[in-house]
Amino acid sequence: MGNHGNIIRLLCVIVLLVPLLTGCWDSVDIEDRAVVLAIAIDKAEKNAKENEAEISHLKQKGFRKPQEKMIRVTAQIAVPGRIPLGPDTGGGTGEEKPPVWVLSAVGHTLDDALLNLQQEVADPIFLGHLRVIIISKDLAKKGVKRFNDYFRRNPEIRRSAWLAISNGNAAKLINVAPKLERVPALYIAAMLENGVKLGKFPNDFIGLFWRTLSSKGQDAYLPFLKVKEEENIQIKGLANFSNAKMVGMTEPLEIGLYMGVMGERKGGYGVFVDVPGTKAKVLVEAVHRKSRVKTVIRNGKPHVQIKIRYEGQINEKDHEKVEINKSAVIKRIEKKAATDTEKSVKGLIRKTQQMQSDIFGFGEYVRAKHPTYWNENVKTKENWHKLYKEGTYEVKVVFHIRRVGMKAE
Amino acid sequence: MNQLREITVIQTTCILISTIIGVGVLPLPLFGVKAADTGAPLVTFLAIMIAFLGLWVITKLGIRFPNQSIIQYSETIIGKWPARICNFLVIAFFLLLTGLGAREFGEVVVTAVLRETPIEVTVIVMLLMAAIPARNDINIFSYIHVFFLPVILSPGLIIVALSLKNANVLYLQPLWGHDHKVMILGILTIAALFQGTFIITILIPYMRRPKKAMKASLWAIGIAGTFYLLIVIAAVSVFGPEEIKQLLWPTLELARTTSWGRVLQRLDVIFLVVWVTAVFTTLYSSYLFMAFSISQFFHLRDHKMLSYFLLPLVFVIAMYPKNSLKMYEVIVLVGTFGLILTIIYPCVLLVMAILRKQEGHRTIENG
Repeated sequence: MGNHGNIIRLLCVIVLLVPLLTGCWDSVDIEDRAVVLAIAIDKAEKNAKENEAEISHLKQKGFRKPQEKMIRVTAQIAVPGRIPLGPDTGGGTGEEKPPVWVLSAVGHTLDDALLNLQQEVADPIFLGHLRVIIISKDLAKKGVKRFNDYFRRNPEIRRSAWLAISNGNAAKLINVAPKLERVPALYIAAMLENGVKLGKFPNDFIGLFWRTLSSKGQDAYLPFLKVKEEENIQIKGLANFSNAKMVGMTEPLEIGLYMGVMGERKGGYGVFVDVPGTKAKVLVEAVHRKSRVKTVIRNGKPHVQIKIRYEGQINEKDHEKVEINKSAVIKRIEKKAATDTEKSVKGLIRKTQQMQSDIFGFGEYVRAKHPTYWNENVKTKENWHKLYKEGTYEVKVVFHIRRVGMKAE
Repeated sequence: MNQLREITVIQTTCILISTIIGVGVLPLPLFGVKAADTGAPLVTFLAIMIAFLGLWVITKLGIRFPNQSIIQYSETIIGKWPARICNFLVIAFFLLLTGLGAREFGEVVVTAVLRETPIEVTVIVMLLMAAIPARNDINIFSYIHVFFLPVILSPGLIIVALSLKNANVLYLQPLWGHDHKVMILGILTIAALFQGTFIITILIPYMRRPKKAMKASLWAIGIAGTFYLLIVIAAVSVFGPEEIKQLLWPTLELARTTSWGRVLQRLDVIFLVVWVTAVFTTLYSSYLFMAFSISQFFHLRDHKMLSYFLLPLVFVIAMYPKNSLKMYEVIVLVGTFGLILTIIYPCVLLVMAILRKQEGHRTIENG
């Protein structure tokens, strides 16, 4: 009896251990995956329709093509073993092979294009390490909603990936090979992430982009990138959206102003300010920003009061003779910097009003603080766009220059 | 009956907390936002109040009849057959709750993590994990719960704290929300997530001092409620109500969005580990409740064998909804109607017990 009992017990244990193997169903070795690091989405060329195979639709009866215009998706796939894990020790390893493989396919939708791409790639496409998605300006002007759906649905996509708009061809942008990083996709990602750290760009990874896009009282924006001299990339400004369509862009300095209004703490931009009473100019760099936004309803229209406080330092003076070694002079420069900032911020607001793109989210203030007004007059993003144009804005800037560097006169 | 009274107040509190926190955390902010936009935290708070009402009543009853569970004292209060019908419904409801809980777990795992694994396997594994320890007695049951509680609570709180750096206070205003046609429904849906608290009815007969059960209930609902409220506040302030409406499992997305510097770029891995434990403790409780109640229902001496007999039944229920959307429809429906059984039924019992001045024996204090 005891013997039988033991055998039964052993069997039970084995049976119970079997379910522990479940994890193995999903194990895919890293070499057997096509790890996509970056995706570029462009308009498809004119003859794309003829070149497309019948992968997700058939010419005959049954699965019909969707109406949407075709796109070309370019994927940057990491080649296993060629992604360097540390600094290059250099020498002796023979010829250098590119660490990524760039492939592209056309399709009617994003998933369609990826399915077409998968048809040409041996390993399963894996999007878990996707860092940047670049959409070309032309496509973004038609709207980005059609791409969001797939990215939201797919559990592999990280919400911390970056979405950006390229000035020209998006595929070209992810192929730029900067010298600092061997993998182009990682360079772009690093550029945007460091931009946040340096105070050059507000944090706007895809999760944040989506949430502003969904918000009823705020419009989204994305980094606007441009290829510079074939092998470098420039952050050219913000790509402003109105609803899901790109409607315009700002200059790089206006990113700084935008961040000022939003009160992003780390300052990163420097501006020329006149030294009052002289011909000289000094370059003042913003170090800290702080802002307070208040909304009131005046005569049935929103009135927004923006208070920004800058702290800065003088980095450079362009005139040898003019001296700025007195605190009274500094005070005058501060005043001048403040009025100049006020003017520029007002200009930026006017610009976004014309685009119908409230990237500042003043609408969110109205929605949050004046719910009855919002329910009666606004309710939708379209209505807010109209009111955003009609609203009045009051900008107050206080500029403090705390130090002038190590030069005495 | 010869039962050992060994469970302390703290153990009861822990059991209740880890029973409450379960699969429901994932869609919780979505339920709240659907009900009242930015008023989601308020909806959650009201739901906690309703849940507390239910727990208060059942604890009150337990204190009144310190040696019996609801299956037993209901027969004294409203008579044998009416009570039997109601108790049968209660047991059937927990059968559904266990099955659907396991299914919801499987659905999340298959959609988000193990995409190749058949859902039957994840569900079966989870149910086995609940069924095997459910053979044990209440003592071991309480040890397991106390052991896992910190594992459930702390990572959740860490994620909430870390996610706040992306928070926007405007998304929480106005507190009352914009549109509240379905507010009541939302409150009930969220209150239904607390139904595991029914477990207290089988715990009280094992408590060392049943009179202190109310203290345990208060603490449990306080801690678990705060936890739920924090998750809702964090999710709404990070995503905003409009974005949450686009997400099936906002809490999971919250973990996915949140990173801890360069060390952990995605916290969802940690979160899922925690969440598996949370689901386990919840299923374990409802499973044990079923096994115990059925054995008391048929006046059996032991609940051990029942544990395995229930397994196929629960599994079939888990596999019943045809797809994940149907599953949520069923869960919301079952949960909301379940409130009749878990709140109104005990209320009726309590009122009748007070009117008839019925009380259980209070002589046995130390077994």
